[in-house]
Amino acid sequence: MNDRKDVSGIQKFLNQLDLTPLGALCLVVLAVLPFIPPFTKEYLRRWLIMAILLGSQSMAFDFTAGYIGIVNFGFCAFVGLGAYTSALLASKAGVSPWFGMFIAIPPAALLGFLTGVLTLRLRGIFAAVMAWFVGLALMGIATKWVKLTEGPLGLNTPALLKTTSNLPYFYIIFVMMLLIYIVLKKVVRSPFGLAFRAIGQNMEAARTSGINPTRYRIINFTLSCALAGWLGGFYAHYLGVLMPDVMSTSRTIEVLVIAYIGGRGSIWGGLLAAIPFFIGMELVRSSLSNLPGLNLILYGLFLIVIMIYYPGGVAKIYQTLVSRAKNPFIRRLVNRDV
Amino acid sequence: MMESSLTRSLVNRIVAPLRSAAGLLILGTIALAAAATIDKGPYILVNTIVTGGMWALMAMGLALVFGVMNIAHFAVGEVFMAGSLVAYYTITPFINYLTKNPSPMLAALGPLVAIFAAALGGCLIGVVSELIVFRPLRQRSREQWIMNTFLLTLGLSVVMINGHQLIFGTEFKGIVNYWNFPAISVLDTYVSFDRAFVFTFAISMMLLFWVFMKFTKTGQAIRAVAQDENGALMVGIDLNRIQTLTMALSCGLAALAGACLLFMFPSYPTVGLYPLYNAWFVVIVVGLGNVAGTVVGGFIVALFQIVTTTYVGEGYGFVVPALLIIAILIFKPSGIFGSPVRGVLER
Repeated sequence: MNDRKDVSGIQKFLNQLDLTPLGALCLVVLAVLPFIPPFTKEYLRRWLIMAILLGSQSMAFDFTAGYIGIVNFGFCAFVGLGAYTSALLASKAGVSPWFGMFIAIPPAALLGFLTGVLTLRLRGIFAAVMAWFVGLALMGIATKWVKLTEGPLGLNTPALLKTTSNLPYFYIIFVMMLLIYIVLKKVVRSPFGLAFRAIGQNMEAARTSGINPTRYRIINFTLSCALAGWLGGFYAHYLGVLMPDVMSTSRTIEVLVIAYIGGRGSIWGGLLAAIPFFIGMELVRSSLSNLPGLNLILYGLFLIVIMIYYPGGVAKIYQTLVSRAKNPFIRRLVNRDV
Repeated sequence: MMESSLTRSLVNRIVAPLRSAAGLLILGTIALAAAATIDKGPYILVNTIVTGGMWALMAMGLALVFGVMNIAHFAVGEVFMAGSLVAYYTITPFINYLTKNPSPMLAALGPLVAIFAAALGGCLIGVVSELIVFRPLRQRSREQWIMNTFLLTLGLSVVMINGHQLIFGTEFKGIVNYWNFPAISVLDTYVSFDRAFVFTFAISMMLLFWVFMKFTKTGQAIRAVAQDENGALMVGIDLNRIQTLTMALSCGLAALAGACLLFMFPSYPTVGLYPLYNAWFVVIVVGLGNVAGTVVGGFIVALFQIVTTTYVGEGYGFVVPALLIIAILIFKPSGIFGSPVRGVLER
C-alpha cells in the first residue's frame, strides 16, 4: 500500500469519479475512437453509438440485477416509455428534444416505482414477471394507439441536432454514459449501495441488521428505470423514427445478455462487454444476412454458457487476472484507493 | 332452533367460500361469461373452453416445474411452438397422402399420431434441456437458483425462436383443421370437431395427470420432491430421475397444447409468446406452484382474453388482463387459492 501523501491531484480527481487509472485510460481511448481509421466511417460510428447506448442500458440494468438480485424483465419498456414521452412531447407539443429527454425521466421513474411498490415486497420472480407484463402491455398500447403513436409505422421524431454527422451524437451519449456511470458508482459506494448489496446477498441477514428490504429495492428499481427513461429520450431523438418494438422482450434480452457477460454487480462490465460484443454481432448480422436470427442465437448461447460456466463474466476475469496481479505496475494502474 | 342453526351452517358452508377471493373471482367470471354469451353469442364460451383447457395444461406444466425444481420456465412458449411445428410436419405428409388415396381410417388416426409425436418431441426437449442446461448449473451452484434458471430459460427461448427462424423460416405453418368431420351442434351453435376434440382431450389429459400424480408411485415421488427435497432424498428417491421426468412432463404438456391448437395458432417463430403469457398469467392468478388451481385458472384467463379482444380490440389482449394481475398482486399476492407450498419455493 502506498503512502497517502503520494496521491496526486489527478488520482484524487479520478477517485472522486470512481475511476481507476486503467478505466480512465479506456475511456480516453473510447473518446478518440471515432477518429481512428476504421471508425471514421459513418456506419461504424453509428454502431459505436448504439453500442454505448446498449452499454449504458446494461449498466442501469446491472444496477438492479447485480445488486438487489431483481431481473427487470421489462427494462426496454421503460426505455420505450421514456422514448415515446420525449418523442410525443417534441412532435406534438413542440417541446425541445433537449428538454424532452429530461421530461422522459419522471414517467419512467413513476412506472418503475409503481411496479416496484406492487411486486418488490414479494419474491424476485414476481417483479420479473410483472415488469414483463407491464412491458407487453405498454408495447400493446404503443402498437394499437395509432392516433397517438403512429403504431408500427413509426413515429417521426425531431432530431436532437440539425447535423447528419454521427460525431456529435457520439459525444452526447458518451457524456450520458459517463454521468450514468458516475451516478451509479456514487450510489453503490454510499450506504445505500451497502444496503443493496446486503439485500442481494442475504435478505434475512439484511433484515436482521435493520434494513427494510422493500424500501431499498424500490429505491434501486426506480433509479434504474429513471435512467432507462433518460436513455430512451436519447434513443428517440437520435434515430428520428420510433417504433413500438423498442419495448419488445428481445431488446430487453439483448441488454440482459450484455449485462451478464459484463459481470453482475460490476456496473462497468456491461459497458466493456457491449462495445466489442455489439460490433461483433452487427458484423455477424450484416455479413451473414442470409441466415437471419443467427446473431440472436449466439446471444442465447452466450447467455446459457455464461450463466452455467462463468457466472462472474468479464468483471470476474478482470478481477482474477488484473486486480489481484502481483506486478506492482499493474497494481498501481488499477488500484482505486491508493 | 335446530333448523335455523342447520340452515345457518348450510349458508355458511356455501356462502363463506364464495366470499373469499377465489369465490369472488369465480363468481365474477361466471357472471362475465354469461353476460358476454348473451350479448355476443355462444362462440365466446366455446372459444374460452377450447383455449382455456390448453392454457390450463401449459400452466400445469409450469406450476409443476416451479413446484418441483424451482424453475420459472420461460421457454414453455417456445416448447409450444416446437410442438406445433412437429405436429405440422407430421400431419402434412398425412394430408398429402390422403388427397391422393383417401382412407377414413388414416384420416381419423393421422392427427392423433401428429399430436402424440409433438408431445414426445416436447418431452425430448425437456430431457435435453435438463441434461445439458439445468443439471450442470445445479451441480455447480445453487446460489440465486430461481433467477439464474429463469435467465437460462430465457436463453433457451431465444435460441429456439431464432433457430426456428433460421431453419424453417418465418412463414405461417398451419392447417385448416385436423379432422374433416362435420361440426357438432351444441346449443344452436356449430362447434367444429377439432374444437370439441381439443376440449375433451384437455379434460382427459388433466384427469390422467391427476391420477398419475395421486396414485402412481412416480407421481407420489414427484410430489414428495416438491414438498421436501432432502426428505425425498432420505427415503431413497432418485432426485435426478424425478427432475428429468418433471421437466419432460411439463415440456410435453406444453408441446401437446401447441399441437392441439395448431388449427388456431399456426407455427411461426414467435407464436409462443401469447401462450407463454397466458400460462404465466394463469400461474400468477392461482398462485405460484399451485398445480390443481391451474385448471380453474386456465378457463378464467381464457375468458378474460377473449372478452377483452372481443370488446376492446385485438391488441389489448395484453393490457386488460394485466390490470387483473395488478389487483391480485395488491390484494392477494399468493394467488387466489393461495399456494400452501410457498415456503419451500423460497430458496
